[in-house]
Amino acid sequence: MAALAPTRLPIYRLLLRSQVSRARVLALLAIGIVGIVVGFAIGAGDRIDELRAGARFINTFGLSLLVPVTALVFSAAALGDPSEDGTLVYLWLRPVRRSRIVIAAAASSFTVAWPLVVIPLAVAAWATGGGSALVTATVVASTLALVAYTGIFCALGLRVKRSLVWGLLYIFIWEGFVATANDTAGRLAVRTYSRSVLTEIADVTLRFSAISSPYRWIVPPLVAVVALAYATRRLRRQDVA
Amino acid sequence: MTVLLPPPPPPPPPPVPADARIVVERVSKWFGDLVAVSDVSFTVGPGVTALLGPNGAGKSTMLRLLCGLTPPSQGTVAVFGGNPRDDLSLTRRIGLVPQQETLFENLSALGFVRLAAVLHGLDDPEGAARSALAVVELDPDEPRPIAGFSKGMRQRAKVAQALVHDPDVVVLDEPLTGLDPRQRLHLITLFEQLGAAGKTVLVSSHVLDEVERFGRRVLVMAQGRLAAEGDFHAIRDLMDDRPHRVRIRSDRARELATGLLERGVVVGVRLGDGDDVIVDAVDAARLRREVPVVAAELGARLYEVAPLDDDLESVFRYLVGG
Repeated sequence: MAALAPTRLPIYRLLLRSQVSRARVLALLAIGIVGIVVGFAIGAGDRIDELRAGARFINTFGLSLLVPVTALVFSAAALGDPSEDGTLVYLWLRPVRRSRIVIAAAASSFTVAWPLVVIPLAVAAWATGGGSALVTATVVASTLALVAYTGIFCALGLRVKRSLVWGLLYIFIWEGFVATANDTAGRLAVRTYSRSVLTEIADVTLRFSAISSPYRWIVPPLVAVVALAYATRRLRRQDVA
Repeated sequence: MTVLLPPPPPPPPPPVPADARIVVERVSKWFGDLVAVSDVSFTVGPGVTALLGPNGAGKSTMLRLLCGLTPPSQGTVAVFGGNPRDDLSLTRRIGLVPQQETLFENLSALGFVRLAAVLHGLDDPEGAARSALAVVELDPDEPRPIAGFSKGMRQRAKVAQALVHDPDVVVLDEPLTGLDPRQRLHLITLFEQLGAAGKTVLVSSHVLDEVERFGRRVLVMAQGRLAAEGDFHAIRDLMDDRPHRVRIRSDRARELATGLLERGVVVGVRLGDGDDVIVDAVDAARLRREVPVVAAELGARLYEVAPLDDDLESVFRYLVGG
């Protein structure tokens, strides 16, 4: 935090406080706990390949559901809520670079989403019996995915009203359906890259995980950077209530 | 042979006063099909200027334009010669009290105003925030978060955050809403003091009597246009010259209206369904004097004498010739 500019830190704190509501945290915590329970259930089953079963579960539950939905809930609200309720004016009308506001928003939503996503998924991965490789792969892949989704949904929150609805459509229609048509379409979904990272570290094979290194490592953060740059431009140009 | 001459050039804009801090030139703003501000030009210098207009006149849009919160669709807005939309350094010189009530609800008043001070890069944000809160008579040590504040407390917190960095231009959008009479008086006095200290204070209101106390200079907006500009009393006199429409209810309403018409007190009469007539009078004061006299002469009982167009909307309709 020492590296944060003096004006960025208070914005980060402010947005962090505004995002952390008991209802949001409890709801997402409950989903994470469900994941842990299912992880134990998988681990208790009589399976030959526990690593593959665990990886499939982390991919299906974690990378396809928990990570994007949690990122959506917090990131879309980070700047979307102030924009809609008019309080953005109290940040906008200050001599603070717009990029600092956007970065503070993304950092705050990442801060609150990371423990709600990565810790339950890591525990679930361990519970499946997939071993330390799966746990490491889960932590890295879900963190990488969270970075990308944080950028995307921060920008979405500024761009559209009812960003939650649009975000869910993106997650379930685009990433969950359209982007699974073939490998080429799969390259247009964040989860394909995080799945590729998961399979590389855990050394397992899953469908639609054929993104080669280094792209599987580079593209998710790059997506976040591009999305946040767009959000900065948007913040600079949009009407403020 | 017909020679087509080029159209004459538009008249040059009036010279900008040397002390003008806000210069608005031929500004229009539309949102889709809705024209919120139409071809408005004015300048504002030091002192208190009131922006007056009925709800929906375009006042808030105009104030947002002045602060750079939205760009003009046409025309230019300059504050200290710069574009408030692009020039980030201008935010140090502008303080805005926006109309919307929502604030950072989790913060205390001190936290809210201190945040503004920090973001403005003040050396002593805590001290500046405490001073600004004291100016608006809010307790800096009030532990409650803003979520528990009354409307009046919220208004004062908004004013404090706008003043905390000692801006040269203070823009206030309906700042007296929700305040009790004592707080209103306090803030009006504060605005006068800021104006006397050389600040540019632009205050919007839709309450005519409220504006009279802000200062002599007013800008009157109606239907997105600048309907009048200048000394308040001159505009008020102009408003008083318009025909007044009054409903008179009496047991002998028709005879009463005839009597007023014969005396030249009213210039038009419309008969109502029952015991009422609607009359148009040029001189409202004379009408008020003459109605009881004529009623007494006729032995008529008066039930009601009610002005129908004393509201601001009708005043502004008159000003814009609508």
